[in-house]
Amino acid sequence: MAFLEWLQSTWVGVLVAESLWGYPLLETIHSLGIAMLIGSLGLINLRVLGYKPDLPLLGMQQLLPLAWVGFTLNAISGTLLFTSDAVFFFESYTFRIKMVLIVLGGINAAMLGQRVFREAAGMPATPPAASTKWIAVTSLVFWFGAVCAGRLIAYTP
Amino acid sequence: MEFLVWLENTPIANAIRTIPWLYPAFETGHYIGLSLLVGGILLIDLRVLGMARGLPLKSMIGLLPFVWAGFIINVLTGSMLFIYGATNFGPNGAFQLKMAFMVVAGLNALAFDVAVRRSGGVWVTADRPPALVKGFATLSLVFWLCVVTTGRWMAYL
Repeated sequence: MAFLEWLQSTWVGVLVAESLWGYPLLETIHSLGIAMLIGSLGLINLRVLGYKPDLPLLGMQQLLPLAWVGFTLNAISGTLLFTSDAVFFFESYTFRIKMVLIVLGGINAAMLGQRVFREAAGMPATPPAASTKWIAVTSLVFWFGAVCAGRLIAYTP
Repeated sequence: MEFLVWLENTPIANAIRTIPWLYPAFETGHYIGLSLLVGGILLIDLRVLGMARGLPLKSMIGLLPFVWAGFIINVLTGSMLFIYGATNFGPNGAFQLKMAFMVVAGLNALAFDVAVRRSGGVWVTADRPPALVKGFATLSLVFWLCVVTTGRWMAYL
């Protein structure tokens, strides 16, 4: 707790919290990161579930750089946003749920990538197994859940 | 202005004022719509500009229904959000800019659509978008970025 209080008192935390442009700029970047992440991972997950079979399954890997850019933008902007009100965010149950969902989403993405891209590479094209499709479903739930949780932080304990 | 006052006193606006979870629900819905709209348009525009070449251009342009779904969700949720605070948002400079950018983005999308139809799909199949079309794609990214940014600024003006 003392660490969090110290964090929000640093020049970064104060700058983000009190400058006219700091918070809205970071929030905007955070929204764009969401669009990149949801766009790329969303499409990959949908493709695994069978949507748009004309998209080559292995080729979907080419969307991963966009996902990484989005994730990185959000990790950085998210951390900076956090510093502006560290105690509040840390104590927010909705924020904690969001963090859990992001971790779960990340684990899911790694599992999906392992099965769909690494195991499938070099093998004849086969539709993903049922268990892989379930990972895609939960992945969508986790990422959309994280978006919802993020927006609800301001409204919930 | 009288119209804005009238809007703020409609049954819908009163419902949003009295039922506490409605506004957060509409805001969250607006973010989901943003993820679909901007996420989708990011994928299409970046693909036109050459990202993820392994994915067929035609298939990526075929993602437009998602963009439309996001757009419709945001027109609906946005209308609800607007009605609730019409006298605040109507005169808000950031809101007016946001609407202006949306009109321009829409016109740009129309131009892109005309270009696709006029060509009879030739450059789509050949994956060689003309420079003009790449220009439309670039402008599209800029315009939607401006929509998101001005949207966020509404709360700060």
